[in-house]
Amino acid sequence: MTVDAVYLLQLTLNGITLGLIYALIAVGLSLIFGVMEIINFAHGELLMLGAFAMTFALPVMGLLYWPSLAVAILAIMLVGLVIYEVLLARLRPDEFERSILITLGLSIIIIHVMQYFFTATPRLVDTQYGFEGVSIGSIRITWTRIIGAAAAAAAFGGLYLVLRHTQFGRAMRAIAQNREAALMVGIRPRVVARNAVVLAAGLCGLAGAAISPIQLVTPYMGQFLIFKAFALVIIGGLGNIPGAIVAAIALGLIESWIGGFYEIIWQEAAVFVIMIAVLFVRPDGLFKRGGMRVG
Amino acid sequence: MKAAVALLAALAFAALPLMTSSNYIIGVGISALIFTVAAAALNLIYGFTGLLSFAQLGFWGIGGYVTALTVVTFGGNFWWGVLWAALINAVVALAIGYPTLRTNRHAFVIMTLTFALLVTLIARDWVDLTRGPLGIPNLPRPSAFGYHFATTGQYYWVAWAFSVAMLAFLYALCSSRIGRTLVAIKQNEPLVRAQGIAPMPYKLSAFAISAAVTGAAGGVFTFHLGIIDPLFLDFYYMQTFLIIVIIGGAGSFWGVIAAGIALSALPEALRFSADFRMIIYGVILVVAMFVMPTGVAGWLRERQLARMREQLR
Repeated sequence: MTVDAVYLLQLTLNGITLGLIYALIAVGLSLIFGVMEIINFAHGELLMLGAFAMTFALPVMGLLYWPSLAVAILAIMLVGLVIYEVLLARLRPDEFERSILITLGLSIIIIHVMQYFFTATPRLVDTQYGFEGVSIGSIRITWTRIIGAAAAAAAFGGLYLVLRHTQFGRAMRAIAQNREAALMVGIRPRVVARNAVVLAAGLCGLAGAAISPIQLVTPYMGQFLIFKAFALVIIGGLGNIPGAIVAAIALGLIESWIGGFYEIIWQEAAVFVIMIAVLFVRPDGLFKRGGMRVG
Repeated sequence: MKAAVALLAALAFAALPLMTSSNYIIGVGISALIFTVAAAALNLIYGFTGLLSFAQLGFWGIGGYVTALTVVTFGGNFWWGVLWAALINAVVALAIGYPTLRTNRHAFVIMTLTFALLVTLIARDWVDLTRGPLGIPNLPRPSAFGYHFATTGQYYWVAWAFSVAMLAFLYALCSSRIGRTLVAIKQNEPLVRAQGIAPMPYKLSAFAISAAVTGAAGGVFTFHLGIIDPLFLDFYYMQTFLIIVIIGGAGSFWGVIAAGIALSALPEALRFSADFRMIIYGVILVVAMFVMPTGVAGWLRERQLARMREQLR
């Protein structure tokens, strides 16, 4: 089999974009797990809501990309705040199964309410950039992809700075590393957990908004992504943020390469096979968790 | 007393096709029986052993496909199909259970979830085997000893006999020493280890048995529907099993059985649209987790305990 270099490069670039989107979701999950030791099953639905927010904001903003993106992210942060205050704040940190079942119920409610009001018909999103793009040699990438990837990369940079250098982020890491000690120095777990959920929701809103011009928007779009994000969080080590990012980008690349050369079934099965293999070799994930790590 | 009530209820259920000729009502009866079996299997792994498994959906789907393919593609009969469904699921459960159960319970939940999704994707994308989204229609109803279970009313007996046998088996298992060991593992695993019992074989076998029963139930249900396609792996089924277990009371055998019968019949009686039904299921799930985390059975037990304390005072 001869491999066309241009084709391979195209697959690689697509894979990186895909991986960055996965990473945005997986990082949010990891952040919430690190701080609260729960899994948010409705995380994929936050992404879907972000995409829908983008579809509604774009026409209002006259198809301008950046203001709509900001509106979508803020809207989803607000949703995250409501979810935390109404549901998650009542959970204790050791109630893992309960957190899954509650957020599972929430995810079903969100999906079907959206489907009831907006139908399951896939929506195509148009932005100011349309389907224009840049061509480098014979490779073509649309602007929406480039901006999506850049926004995701910028978000990780921002997250790193926040977790590393602000009081807000240090409190989160403190809670994740040692709950009792954090309580003793006067950190309020409730506030920190709320901040973590809102931050994770914002990342997810960004992922949804960035993906909406690339993919079709449907009420079910979050479901398939969230399963992969779960697997990534396991592969990277639960609560380990850089682990999740590395695993996500690697998966994006692997899926894209496999999808380019083999049947689609292998592309979809890849994440599961990798997860089983990783669990066999390293039951705690590829990158062992020691509290929440940011770098 | 309990045995007499159970026997009477089982016999009353057996008489359903004699009391009505409506295929719709008998169909609801079949669903109630099969869903109750699947929920009881989930109860074994979640309620008794304390491992929340979403893989049940995958086992349910594998069971359905294995049974259908045995009959249609490999030329076997229905009974062998159900047997293969149980066997293959047990092997699959051992294969994914072994690496996963070595990790913590968080990883187990997520892993089983991903497995369920993988099965859905295989059902949809492995077109050569499963015929993809078109599915396999016109599954023939089974026959035994020269008797053909052709109508829905006649097939009901198959579902009934299967359910009674499976529930009896699960009851025997849950009320035996093995069942008590599983509960002990759920409540305090280090203590179980300290008693010289290795938890792993118990957890693995509970997972495999639960998988086998769910798979066989899926096989029986497929032949009631008469068609299998990727919709058989809709998350709706997992949801139904979960709600039955949670409302009935995880870890309570009879509570889950009663909830299975009641909750399968209720949505049919109320006849909501599909979307609206799912919304209500979601709301029930969220509210139940806050108001009644131990289900009806747990709530009754707490009330009983409270009364006993009152008397002792």
